[in-house]
Amino acid sequence: MSLWELILQQTVNGLILGSFYALIALGYSMVYGIIKLLNFAHGDIYMTGAFACLSVFGVLSVIIPGVAGIILSVLAAMVIAAVLGYLAQRFAYGPLLGAPRLSLLITAIGVSLVISNSVMVITNSQPLFFPGVIDNSAGINIGGITVTYIQIILITVSASLMLALTLFIGRTMTGKAMRAISLDKDTCRLMGINVNKIIGLTFIIGSSLAAIAGGLACVYYGNVQFSMGYTIGIKAFTAAVIGGIGSIPGAMLGGLLLGLLEAVGTQFLGSQWKDVFAFGLLIIILILRPNGLLGKSEIERM
Amino acid sequence: MKRKISKLTALLIVVSMLVSLTGLVLLTGCSDDGDAILVGVILPLSGSEAAYGTDMLNSYKLAVEEINAAGGVKIGAGETRSLKLYEQDDGADANMATQAAAKITSRGVDFVVGGYASGAIIPTLQQFYDEDLLLLISAANSTNITRAGFNQSFMINSPGSFAVVTLMELLKSLGSQRVALIHQGDDYTKNLSDMCSEELPKNGFEVVTVEVMEKGAADVSAIVTAIRSSNADFVYWCGYHSDGSNVIKQLRRGGYEGHIAVGDGSADPDLIEACGEDGEGVYVTSPPYVKLAGEKGAKFFNDYSAKYNREPGNYATLAYDTIYLLKAAIESAASTETAAVRGAVQDISFPGLSGNISFTPDREMAVSNFMILQIKDGDFTLIEP
Repeated sequence: MSLWELILQQTVNGLILGSFYALIALGYSMVYGIIKLLNFAHGDIYMTGAFACLSVFGVLSVIIPGVAGIILSVLAAMVIAAVLGYLAQRFAYGPLLGAPRLSLLITAIGVSLVISNSVMVITNSQPLFFPGVIDNSAGINIGGITVTYIQIILITVSASLMLALTLFIGRTMTGKAMRAISLDKDTCRLMGINVNKIIGLTFIIGSSLAAIAGGLACVYYGNVQFSMGYTIGIKAFTAAVIGGIGSIPGAMLGGLLLGLLEAVGTQFLGSQWKDVFAFGLLIIILILRPNGLLGKSEIERM
Repeated sequence: MKRKISKLTALLIVVSMLVSLTGLVLLTGCSDDGDAILVGVILPLSGSEAAYGTDMLNSYKLAVEEINAAGGVKIGAGETRSLKLYEQDDGADANMATQAAAKITSRGVDFVVGGYASGAIIPTLQQFYDEDLLLLISAANSTNITRAGFNQSFMINSPGSFAVVTLMELLKSLGSQRVALIHQGDDYTKNLSDMCSEELPKNGFEVVTVEVMEKGAADVSAIVTAIRSSNADFVYWCGYHSDGSNVIKQLRRGGYEGHIAVGDGSADPDLIEACGEDGEGVYVTSPPYVKLAGEKGAKFFNDYSAKYNREPGNYATLAYDTIYLLKAAIESAASTETAAVRGAVQDISFPGLSGNISFTPDREMAVSNFMILQIKDGDFTLIEP
């Protein structure tokens, strides 16, 4: 491989990984933006989405095999994850909205453990495998490297989801309500916005996005295990912070940046050093821009 | 408050009295073993490693039943005695293991077999040594066990360094020169990778890159590209099978065309299912795989499957061999005295399912029992390098 091909290939690798980070980071960022909660259970929602997709496809593929079955399975996974996310908000986080933020944070860790350990018990800690339905080798040649069709689909799907979400938050009334709540909950109540409903909706959207990421990961990588949400959850959280937590474009930027840094670090410094390299640079970014790349600096009004 | 505490204390006293009383009853009630040779078994029967421990215990039980049904162990002229197992759970944990060992020694057993996790069996070595008990370790294979210097403990499984020897045989036969290693950063996988990094260059092979894959990380494409750019013609995966399938699939999809081999942490039939087509041609440096152990192996495989309704796992073969090796050693020593049987084990050359078993003066296997398997048509096939 020439150096040019190498850089191009690692860029593609980084973009794919970064798209997954970004999709999950969106959920972190949305929830933090609206109720200032670091939802540590978000990585486990992603994992649940992957399991839901695999299980639904296992049943569904008898009737609807192939790509149609996969699309339906991912949609079903979205619904299941959305319900789970909503339930967590309704019964675990909702009652604590007035409580100190630390209580909410600990509850999120609790929800995370409940979900991952439940799946661990159900699956007996064994990894499960997605059947090889998708052709993972067909693709097109770009500048000497092969980009497979599924990789193109992955990047397209995540890019359009991110675009849709940005439009939704920026252009619709519900989006406006979300932005308003993140500024001042109490005033929103006085203005007649149904705050609880909007918060519930935020969880539903965030969880669905995580489930899409989980479903895509399940199809693309082909194996699913209960611990898969942990590392990627931490990475996505980092991406959200780097981009500026609360900012939707920031979450995307952070995710893609982290993916690219890891790929470059692996190539030129070795995989043992990739996290040191990526996170070292991220610390520098945070020192220079404490609110993240696209985060707004908050002015506390007394 | 004060009353509460005194109530609690009273309750504790009553409970502890009850416990010690039942303990006493159990101790006195169980002393009748007839004239059977009592073999203590120390294995993880609960916790995360319970599946492996139970698998090995099943093998022990099967072997003991077969031996007893065939008339027992012949000691000297005309004297035969049956075998009896006394199993204790070590939970693959050092603390639990010392308690289990204490129970076994206080029970007055004649021999001890078992040992799955090296970390659990090492702290018990002294206890068994103090009671002058012969210990045959079926699965645990850290060289720290034999190097602890207790001369009555033998390892029936080849130490990890033998995997490297087997790997080099494979490399030689394939003509591969440039090796890439991938491990997962934990004790076992890093140790295997380190041994390779140390031994391969001494034998004329080049380790071109050592990569680390975090456990559970789904995406290894960056590592795959790094390996491709290092021009490796052989990749050795030192990690576990749950992540191994991901590595193999992404290596193939990422355009890597050289050889792939995996270590014993991935020697699991699940790997074949998980890899699908991408798994074809992958080599495994594997512990003895019973399906390939000839006619005797097939009989064991069928008997085990019929009795326990599941296939024998990776270490079942070694466990089965352990009991038969003990029988052979007792018969050759014509005694059940530890010193005599110890000598017999040291000198033994025993044809087991897992290959011929004999020992070095360090009480490790003299010949590697690692075999090279290859995935062909969705099954493991034995390769003779």
